Amino acid sequence: MTLLTRMANLGVKAAAFGLILVLAACATRPDPANKVAVQAYEETNDPAEPLNRYFFELNRFFDIILIKPVATWYQGVVPGFARNGVRHFLDNLDSPVILANDSLQGEWDRAGVTVSRFGINTTVGVLGLFDPATGWGYPQHREDFGQTLAVWGSGEGPYIFLPILGPSNPRDLTGFVVDDFFDPLTYIYWNGPYTVPVTRFVVNGIDVRSRNLDTLDQIERTSVDYYATVRSLYRQTRANEISNGKSTNENLPDIDNLNFDTNEPQAVAPKK
Amino acid sequence: MSPLSFLRSAFMPVAFSFALVTAVVSASMPAQAANEDPAAEKFVGEISTQAISIISDKSLSRPDREAAFGKLLDGSADMQRIAAFCLGQYRSLPTEAQKNEYLGLVRNFVVKVYVTRLSDYHDEKLQITGSQAKGANQAIVTSQINFTNGRQPVQVTWWLVKNNGEYKIFDVNVVGIWLAQEQRSAFTSVISNHNGDFSALLSHLNTQIADADAGKLPPTAAGAAQ
Repeated sequence: MTLLTRMANLGVKAAAFGLILVLAACATRPDPANKVAVQAYEETNDPAEPLNRYFFELNRFFDIILIKPVATWYQGVVPGFARNGVRHFLDNLDSPVILANDSLQGEWDRAGVTVSRFGINTTVGVLGLFDPATGWGYPQHREDFGQTLAVWGSGEGPYIFLPILGPSNPRDLTGFVVDDFFDPLTYIYWNGPYTVPVTRFVVNGIDVRSRNLDTLDQIERTSVDYYATVRSLYRQTRANEISNGKSTNENLPDIDNLNFDTNEPQAVAPKK
Repeated sequence: MSPLSFLRSAFMPVAFSFALVTAVVSASMPAQAANEDPAAEKFVGEISTQAISIISDKSLSRPDREAAFGKLLDGSADMQRIAAFCLGQYRSLPTEAQKNEYLGLVRNFVVKVYVTRLSDYHDEKLQITGSQAKGANQAIVTSQINFTNGRQPVQVTWWLVKNNGEYKIFDVNVVGIWLAQEQRSAFTSVISNHNGDFSALLSHLNTQIADADAGKLPPTAAGAAQ
């Protein structure tokens, strides 16, 4: 890389960062005198909402013109057993990342399950194309470094919606980057060719989208505010994943005296 | 030391810990049982059976199914409390007239949305897996939907609250998502994005209900779901 391209690259990054700062600052922070609006704003915890909504619409546009048609085609043309093979293969490739995070969270039983799954599915399951491990008592689970950070006590930070990657927050975005370093494939393809990681990313995206065609369609058509609904679904899903599905009911808001005239309880997921 | 007494002393600690464990376990059992709430479990069992039979009844037209589901909801959900919760910080914003219109709209909106969303679960069985009293007036009931086609069971948690001594549904959690919480996020967002104008939410709800009536919702029919 020449010095010139390097500087240009840096310039683009700085400009993008600056743009984000400017747009984020434009977020409609309510009048401090309006207590109700300020409380609602803090509960939402989405200071960059205008920018987020812009990227949300951008992603929706690409979804409509490209991703959804491809996913629909994929679901319609490729037979189910082949699609399941692809899914199992991709899931098996994630094993090292899941194992690293199981271990970092001190979940040794789950780490054992991950190792057993990888061993069984890579051999008996023909390089991960099949998933006999689930039937043998080693069901699948997911972990990522965003969840590990949460287990370690890190708060999620404000909501962000990213182009292509979708809903996130600083904690989960950090996790997304760190997880790459737990993945042996990152080092194998460090100097290219990039076709393999790119293909993996694209096929995974199409497969995930094809599995959510009906669900997302239904949510979009039954929401008064699709963006806000997705935000809530993302946060709640993450909270559930972090607790490994064993959410305690102790964090639920106090609703004993809740009606139109009493004091307001906090939302389910307390913000940090 | 005779062989017998050696054995006895060697196994004494084992026997002692076994007895201790047994005592602790049996002491903790009644405590656990006391926290269970059979009345709440019975309530959820009845409501879910009725809901599934409404959704599975192929002879019902869409309006009939919505009417039946609405009737079930009126008798089993604490709609006032849910509606208040969904407004979040904006709860005291509506005027009396707006509040009454909002209550009616939320009820219709919930009926239309969930008749659609629940259509996935027709002809399935809901199995109660446990319950826990929460304070004097609330209970949490856990359950799962078992599928006949080999799909992974879906976890459903019911949050009940007593209203005049009778249990009512306050919120339902499906695979980790609290549904009233989800609506609250959307409702408050509409108000926030219209500078605190409550009528914006009313018109959004009206639009959604009109869209549903115009057939813009995905099909629900028992046979249409995969």
